[in-house]
Amino acid sequence: MRREVPLFITFISGVLLVIALFIPHKPFGNLEQRFNDWYIIVSGFTMILGIDSLLLHHWNRFKRKREGWIYSIALILAFFITLIWGFYSGIKVGSPFKPNSSFLKYFYTFVFVPLQATMFSLLAFFIASAAYRAFRARTFDATLLLTAAAFVMLGRVPEGNRASVYLFGIALLIAAVILLLEAKERVSTFEKLIHYLGAIVAIVLIYILYRVLPSYLPQIADWIMNIPQLAAKRGIFIGIALGGIAMSLRIILGIERTYLK
Amino acid sequence: MANVIWTWIAAGLTLAIFSFLYKDNPFYKLAEHIYVGSSAAFWFIYLWYFDVKPKLVDAWVQNTGFEKYILIVPAILAVLMLTRFIPTISWLSRWAIAFTVGMGAGLGITGALQGFLVPQLQATLLPIWVHVSDKFTVNLGYSLNNFILVIGTIATIFYFYFSKEHRGGLGYASKVGITFIMIAFGASFGYTVMARISLLIGRLFFLLHDWLHLV
Repeated sequence: MRREVPLFITFISGVLLVIALFIPHKPFGNLEQRFNDWYIIVSGFTMILGIDSLLLHHWNRFKRKREGWIYSIALILAFFITLIWGFYSGIKVGSPFKPNSSFLKYFYTFVFVPLQATMFSLLAFFIASAAYRAFRARTFDATLLLTAAAFVMLGRVPEGNRASVYLFGIALLIAAVILLLEAKERVSTFEKLIHYLGAIVAIVLIYILYRVLPSYLPQIADWIMNIPQLAAKRGIFIGIALGGIAMSLRIILGIERTYLK
Repeated sequence: MANVIWTWIAAGLTLAIFSFLYKDNPFYKLAEHIYVGSSAAFWFIYLWYFDVKPKLVDAWVQNTGFEKYILIVPAILAVLMLTRFIPTISWLSRWAIAFTVGMGAGLGITGALQGFLVPQLQATLLPIWVHVSDKFTVNLGYSLNNFILVIGTIATIFYFYFSKEHRGGLGYASKVGITFIMIAFGASFGYTVMARISLLIGRLFFLLHDWLHLV
């Protein structure tokens, strides 16, 4: 009973939705919309469970005076002040999200947005150090990653086209110098030739970039986003969709039961 | 006057979070905990006013007959979800979880088919030879782009095929796939960096313009 009923509910709700896809008539026609609304209602209530867990954790930390308990008080107070303010505004003007509500005017604009935006903008600094580790162009793949990111970033800033000439120019110049220095150390004539050739190509590329980049950088960035990036994204999406369908079938048929534990 | 006080509060919270760039400190911890607490309450209020209230409470008031009484089903499921608070009957919450999981699985199939698989496949079925209006001249640029798009998509799918060892033809295909994936990750990384930088500029502008009136 405790296992069979949930498995039956999962099977029925999953299968009915699949049937609704193939029979878009009554009584299945609006089933997807109806079930979707129910799903939103039920999952809305699950947030109560999450909030209970969060508050209980911090309440216990405060009660047992564990390290950082003072911050737990701040969290609990912030939660209840926001909650009471939101519902008070809702009762007063109909919804706390109306432009004339004090909740939207003060809490959202001067507390929530600054906190959220600053928290995310912090990532701009950490992403730079992550980029340093990820972008050390030691392999061909890492070089591709670096080049694509550089083109997209420079292509989306106003003075990026001018800056890009110097940045890519310097990078290619360094590459040419390294190739020339390494060529001296090579014993085989063929390897020497390859290194000299690489250095010449790098220098020719500097000239080409100097002529092409300033006027075409935004287009290059757009091309990277619209063609190779889209191709890989599409492949990943198709893979996700196939995997999602397989997993959904396992759940509906009761093969996957981990959610019952 | 109220706006001035609120601007100072916003600036204080912004600086408290930026202080983490120096090192973890009490100001950052305080702002972080305020953020977690207030955003939990914010999203709870948001869910109530945009999801639960219009779909359950308002729908119950506005509808009549079958459309009204059918709402008892999600209401019961929602209440069952809360039985987790009572250990003796907490097993009943599995019914509500089973419904959401079943719904997720059903939507996983229909949504993946309608929203991802079919549209993505349709969009990938592109002509490799794109003709200009006279039907004889080939538009080389469009043709090349379509060719790269098709090859890139297929190669990426091959890269994620793990049922066979990546050797021979499959090995070459997956190598082409990883090349495309690296370009995509690089581009996405660049895009994310730009989004974060624009957020940072927004916060700095707030501090220098709204708070200090320097710019």
